[in-house]
Amino acid sequence: MEAREPIRRSPQSVDAHGVKTRKAKRLESGPGRCGGERSGTLRLTRSEWGKTRGPGRGQRQTMKKLDRVKRYFFGGWRGKSESSFLVLFERFQDILKKNNEILEIMADMSDKLGGAYVFDRQYILDVCARLDDLLYKLVYDLNVLSEQKYIALYPAFEQVRQQIQADLEGRKAAAEVSYVLSYDALSRHHLSDVGSKNANIAELRNVLNYTAPDGFAVTTRAFDDFMDQLGLADRLRALSNRSGTSPKAVAAMYEALRQDILNAEIPSSLERDVRTAIGRLRGSHRRQPLFFAVRSSATEEDTAHSFAGQYDSFLNVPEGEVLSCYKKVLASAYAPRAFRYRQEKGFQEHEIAMAVACQLMVEPKCSGVLYTMDPVFPERDLMVVNATWGLAVPVVEGSSPVDTYLLTRDPPYTVHRMDIAEKQRMVVADGAGGLKTVDVPASDRSTACLPQAVLQELARITHSIERYYKRPQDIEWACDSLDRVVILQTRPLQIRPNSAGDTCTLPEIAKSNPVLLSQKGSVVQRGIAYGKVFAIERDEDLDNVPSGAIVVAKNTSPRLSKLARIGHAILTDVGSATGHMATVAREFRIPTIVNMQTATAVLKTGDEVTVDATENTVYRGIIKDLCYYERTQEAVFEESYEYRLLHRILLRISPLNLVDPHDESFSPARCRTLHDIVRFVHEKSVDELMQVSAKYGKRMRAALKPLQIEVPLGLHVLDIGNGIAQDADGRGPVTADAVTSLPLKAFLTGLVDSGLWATEPISIDLKSMMASVTRTFSTAMAGPEHVGRNLVVAGGNYMNLNLRLGYHFNIIDAYIGDAINDNYVYFRFTGGVTDIVRRSRRAKFIAEILKRHDFRTEIRGDLVIGRLKKLVPEAMRYKLALLGALVSYTRQLDVLMHNDGHIHKCIFEFNQHWPAMEA
Amino acid sequence: MEANPKTRMLILDDEPIVCKRLKPAFEKLGYAVEVFVDSTEAMARIREKDFDIVITDLKMKGIDGLQFVDAVKAKSPETEVIVITGFATMETAKDSFKLGIFDFVAKPFKISDIRVVVEKAEQKRKASGRPLLSDRAQQSARGLDG
Repeated sequence: MEAREPIRRSPQSVDAHGVKTRKAKRLESGPGRCGGERSGTLRLTRSEWGKTRGPGRGQRQTMKKLDRVKRYFFGGWRGKSESSFLVLFERFQDILKKNNEILEIMADMSDKLGGAYVFDRQYILDVCARLDDLLYKLVYDLNVLSEQKYIALYPAFEQVRQQIQADLEGRKAAAEVSYVLSYDALSRHHLSDVGSKNANIAELRNVLNYTAPDGFAVTTRAFDDFMDQLGLADRLRALSNRSGTSPKAVAAMYEALRQDILNAEIPSSLERDVRTAIGRLRGSHRRQPLFFAVRSSATEEDTAHSFAGQYDSFLNVPEGEVLSCYKKVLASAYAPRAFRYRQEKGFQEHEIAMAVACQLMVEPKCSGVLYTMDPVFPERDLMVVNATWGLAVPVVEGSSPVDTYLLTRDPPYTVHRMDIAEKQRMVVADGAGGLKTVDVPASDRSTACLPQAVLQELARITHSIERYYKRPQDIEWACDSLDRVVILQTRPLQIRPNSAGDTCTLPEIAKSNPVLLSQKGSVVQRGIAYGKVFAIERDEDLDNVPSGAIVVAKNTSPRLSKLARIGHAILTDVGSATGHMATVAREFRIPTIVNMQTATAVLKTGDEVTVDATENTVYRGIIKDLCYYERTQEAVFEESYEYRLLHRILLRISPLNLVDPHDESFSPARCRTLHDIVRFVHEKSVDELMQVSAKYGKRMRAALKPLQIEVPLGLHVLDIGNGIAQDADGRGPVTADAVTSLPLKAFLTGLVDSGLWATEPISIDLKSMMASVTRTFSTAMAGPEHVGRNLVVAGGNYMNLNLRLGYHFNIIDAYIGDAINDNYVYFRFTGGVTDIVRRSRRAKFIAEILKRHDFRTEIRGDLVIGRLKKLVPEAMRYKLALLGALVSYTRQLDVLMHNDGHIHKCIFEFNQHWPAMEA
Repeated sequence: MEANPKTRMLILDDEPIVCKRLKPAFEKLGYAVEVFVDSTEAMARIREKDFDIVITDLKMKGIDGLQFVDAVKAKSPETEVIVITGFATMETAKDSFKLGIFDFVAKPFKISDIRVVVEKAEQKRKASGRPLLSDRAQQSARGLDG
């Protein structure tokens, strides 16, 4: 079955030469390429044939047909009559339909990352196959519409889909990853390229903003290429083919491999990349020579299997020796203890991919290791810290006595117990590179290494790292000469629950802790959190949220996003699971539930509660067991392969890079994601339809005419039959009175007669106004023939409006007739001139108005979709008029939306002008 | 009433992620959950032990989901079976009603959705007046079963 298979098109070269041949091939084999499902596009052409020459008669006629196809494309519809235009318009509507379908699939995919859904690999394959099919047809449709003007979209699409295909198959798209990646450019999504140690440290620096060493990762691709050169794959194959190989022979093979690695030349491009990375660090840290910690960062390391101490790491390596240490780290992967460990854990040898971390050396006053939960007595609910003077080597190796502290796991992290050891010697960095052991000054030997304040700061940071990863953590830390905490490494600490979790079943918990809210709202980010409620009533409250609060608010304001670093959970009465705040909550993995309806009514500032954002439940009281239960679970959703795969693929799909249609970067070559392609196709299809009708409209009796109305919209109407009164069908502009299209007439009533266009902005700040002015200016400069020209296609019962006002887009598609079941309105609004925060506010305003008027409304970031159907014609007309008024009112609204209060103000003002229809 | 015996649940899906997500979710709710990614192993298990609730995928490698449902129902007609299936196998899923399954849930689904279905299946069992298999097992262990 088609949907069950991954994207199946054979990969083809996408170079400039390839394009021509592929295009030619495509035409020869027919537009649908292989018939079946994909021939949706072919069907139209076939029906065209049907009209002219009847059904095809066997294979002999194929060639003749092809000629016809070519003539259809290149001869175009120019010579044809009205019916051709309708075919064209049908194609245009198809594009809009697919466009909407694609945007909805994309939103659906992002929803799945929140954790509320169980999805499998098959789901990812299915949606990717659907997107692939839709996108191909979309690009194809635009090219039919434009007479193949945008052939360059094919290779752009091909490139993105090959990347997606590579992700689905778990291979790297060729030459996509460089040998060296700077920490500034990394996150957890690079896990398979840089290994967990690198990814975790970069995540701490870039997302959580904690101090961690600067540095760079040498990627798994460098490892793959280096090992290819040594024929690793062949050696492994030879080994596995020889059944019954003695352990001795295996060991000999690995020893030979180790020696070969140490003796091999580093590929020159790798050497160059590493030197460049070192040079860049020298520049940004203004010191030299630099010293590094060179650590293993294999992809399977520091995950469910710690691999602790299995691979070698080197400290205080002078910059000139980084490359030779790199080889030593690689060689350590084939040391006997390492491969025995892998064997015991059931790893396949070909799974090994060794990235290496090269981190600037930190010279600490003291350092050590912290466990956020005591692995031996997890039920004691304490953190364990070991510390010693100088570098942490004695702690890690357990070679000499060190200080131990036990701290409570909640603020203010008080010291439960403290054992101070007699520390006679310490390990420090040698000025020439390498390490040396020196005497601890007599006065420091029996002194605690960590002052209380640093200890608490360390506990605070590490506890938040645990919350972020939803796992107890094993953290290597250092304290520098200025008493700043630096995190050197973090990895999950494997703790299995002592009991079988019996004490923690929900029915048991509910017996002792009253359930305050249950099964309400949608989970944005799953997880468990407890703490005191802090209710947000005014914008000012946002600055006073105490750390660790359970934040409760009426709406999902994008402004709540900044609380993701402070609060432990976010609960709202209303709001969207796909908005901007939701994205941020997921990024920081803060347990978040929206749309709980009564959160602010039930939960008051100061209440102690426990939030279970997996079961949509809030309990009274602090239930540490629940948290403990979550953190000791075997599987963390965000660590699953499926989560990472979906996230990785969404990066190929969702980001929108093409924003300004008047910028020269608005081109097929700049389409880097599927969203870019969709955006491009939409823009160009509107353009094409307008150009076609402007140029050839007369011949087709579907002329494009300016509509003379009192609002400066530059609206042009394209009459596809009974849209405009016959007597107005001469030259010159059409007046509103001449419009006979039912939906358009109603829309214009609201747009013009509501008088809302003239409504003065409430206030405007200079900065946004300038931003708006400059953009308008550049818009005017870029494409004079397009500025201020908007299109509405009108029939007697139908209208399709494509509106671009400044930077926002509006599509309204409507049908009003006597058959109630056929009546519908589709409304879509997106974009704007200001930042996402204000745009989201405007989106919220629009959604509120639509809901009030009974539209089925969805809001996703700044995208609002409203649908309504099956009303009597009179009611339909009222709704269309409402949309007209709304378009008038919202044209510049994002500029005004300084704070959330404005949303309500605007709703109030608009409702004054436009009351809801009496039932 | 004695302490509630746990409802016994078996989950079979050849995609490990489904088992990984469902097992802790239902354990947290107090179910005794066994999960299988291999239908042959699951088949062997249902021969040894009866379950109150079985959740299974339809399209799997090895023994097909419908065969498995058939075997479960033949061995223990009282077991309520819930089929979870992808969009592509929806039609087959509808066929599985003929085998007497309780309901089916389309993948991807929300944990809260399947939880509701499972609870309804349990209610149906209770309403039918027959004790849950797990209750009977406990009774017979105490020697009260006749």
